[in-house]
Amino acid sequence: MKRSIPLAIVIILGFLFVGYVFIPHKISSDFYEWYMEWMKAMSPFGVILGIMSIIMTHTARIQHKVPNWQYSIVTLIAMIFTAYAGFAWGTQEGTPFMWLFKNVQMPMGATMFSLLAFYIASASYKAFRARSAEATVLLLAAIIVMLGQVPVGVSLFGEGINDITHWILNVPNLASKRGIALGVGLGMVATSLRILLGIERTYLGGGE
Amino acid sequence: MNIFERLQMLDRRWIFLVVAIAIIVPLIIPFNSKTYTTEPTEKLYRLIDSFAPGQDEKPIEKDRALLLVFTHDASTMSELFPMEVAILRHCFARKIKVFTLTFLPSAAPIMDYAINTVKEEFPEVKSGEHYVNFGYKIGALMLPIILGMGEDISEAVDIDAEGRKISSLPIMKNIKNYNEMNLIMDFSGSSAGGAWIVYARSKFGANVGAGVTAVMAADQYPYLQTGQLTGMLAGLKGAAEYEKLVDVFATNQDPAKREFSRELLKDTKYDDAITNPNIKTKFKQARIGMNAQSVAHIMIIVFILIGNIGYFITKYKQKQQG
Repeated sequence: MKRSIPLAIVIILGFLFVGYVFIPHKISSDFYEWYMEWMKAMSPFGVILGIMSIIMTHTARIQHKVPNWQYSIVTLIAMIFTAYAGFAWGTQEGTPFMWLFKNVQMPMGATMFSLLAFYIASASYKAFRARSAEATVLLLAAIIVMLGQVPVGVSLFGEGINDITHWILNVPNLASKRGIALGVGLGMVATSLRILLGIERTYLGGGE
Repeated sequence: MNIFERLQMLDRRWIFLVVAIAIIVPLIIPFNSKTYTTEPTEKLYRLIDSFAPGQDEKPIEKDRALLLVFTHDASTMSELFPMEVAILRHCFARKIKVFTLTFLPSAAPIMDYAINTVKEEFPEVKSGEHYVNFGYKIGALMLPIILGMGEDISEAVDIDAEGRKISSLPIMKNIKNYNEMNLIMDFSGSSAGGAWIVYARSKFGANVGAGVTAVMAADQYPYLQTGQLTGMLAGLKGAAEYEKLVDVFATNQDPAKREFSRELLKDTKYDDAITNPNIKTKFKQARIGMNAQSVAHIMIIVFILIGNIGYFITKYKQKQQG
């Protein structure tokens, strides 16, 4: 029962949605509107579940003193304080919530993302080697595109570097991206069919 | 151990230090660099500019509008925020009707911040009349809202961030669905904007543009080639290009020069933006950042070259020895 009822829900609703997309009829559009009303009602419960999950996970980490449990205290305090600031004073310009966003969230987020530049520089120095013909092509393409993306590249090598960059992005890059997209698309269709027909059941868990 | 072998073993903290200096110095010491505009940016600019009311037309009567969708959090703001500010500045300067929307709770403060940053310079611009912030809508409603706006925007979104009924706002005069709100611009550090291509573009024929981080730009080229994406702002470079276009045309003191023209773009007097005190820093953030990016790219290329020279010399010596 624990597996067959969720499986039945997925298969029945899956086919109903296929029907909605492929059969433009009043019944299918009425069904979709009915579902959307349910969706609006269900979404807030998702937020409650998320908050409960964060509280339970971090409370357990603090209780069991797992490594770096102190960060869990920071997470919980930050969540409660930010939520309180939003509810108590609103989220507009000049409120404590906006102050927190500008002075905590923004610099921390930017710091995390900017680490990428340092790791790319380090990785390119340590690992980006012309070990084979393919690696050499990749390396040259990377250098040209990097130069074409910045004004100094055009100043040094003229506007021709821009044209070569555009060609690399518009021809070989585009061809490979399109190939990947087609492969992913076909894979998604195949997996969706397997789920609809009940062949693919790993999403239900249980180790099968 | 010779110099090349030592370089092969270089502690990566030295690389981090050099990169940090390469990025920080150009930000502290500003210098001018020419911004070259590309076709995907120009196409977006020209389409948005075509939504501006004519000289004898009241902005409120205009039957064209633009939707900006913020699909990113604070981590990608350094690349995407200058794009958002530049487009909002374009819209406010040319009195183009503009809406903002997000399905991410963490993007809601970014929308407020972007609008307030630009609005300071345009006191005549009013919420509900020139622009509306639809605010944050829960992600689960993304699909019904995208599809619903194809029929009636005021029904699909219902209320704005200030709790006002959309249908009662003056800006909605002559704006009903994607026929009028004819361009959706999605700012994202992922491929989240794909939903607009799949539903708003395919089903209703709306124009879709993308503002993406540089690492995601390569993924968007298939959509650009097919025309599913009208245009694209790619990373900080795209933002810098748009900033320049707004400076040269939309905010030009001479009304006769506000129409896009390639001849005017070639004028070198617009290349001093970074040191020009008349252009506020917040409106040239991307161009200032491009200087740092230029130096960082050159540094990375130098690192690659040194690493490879060391690799080949070490390999050559090993071959001779053994």
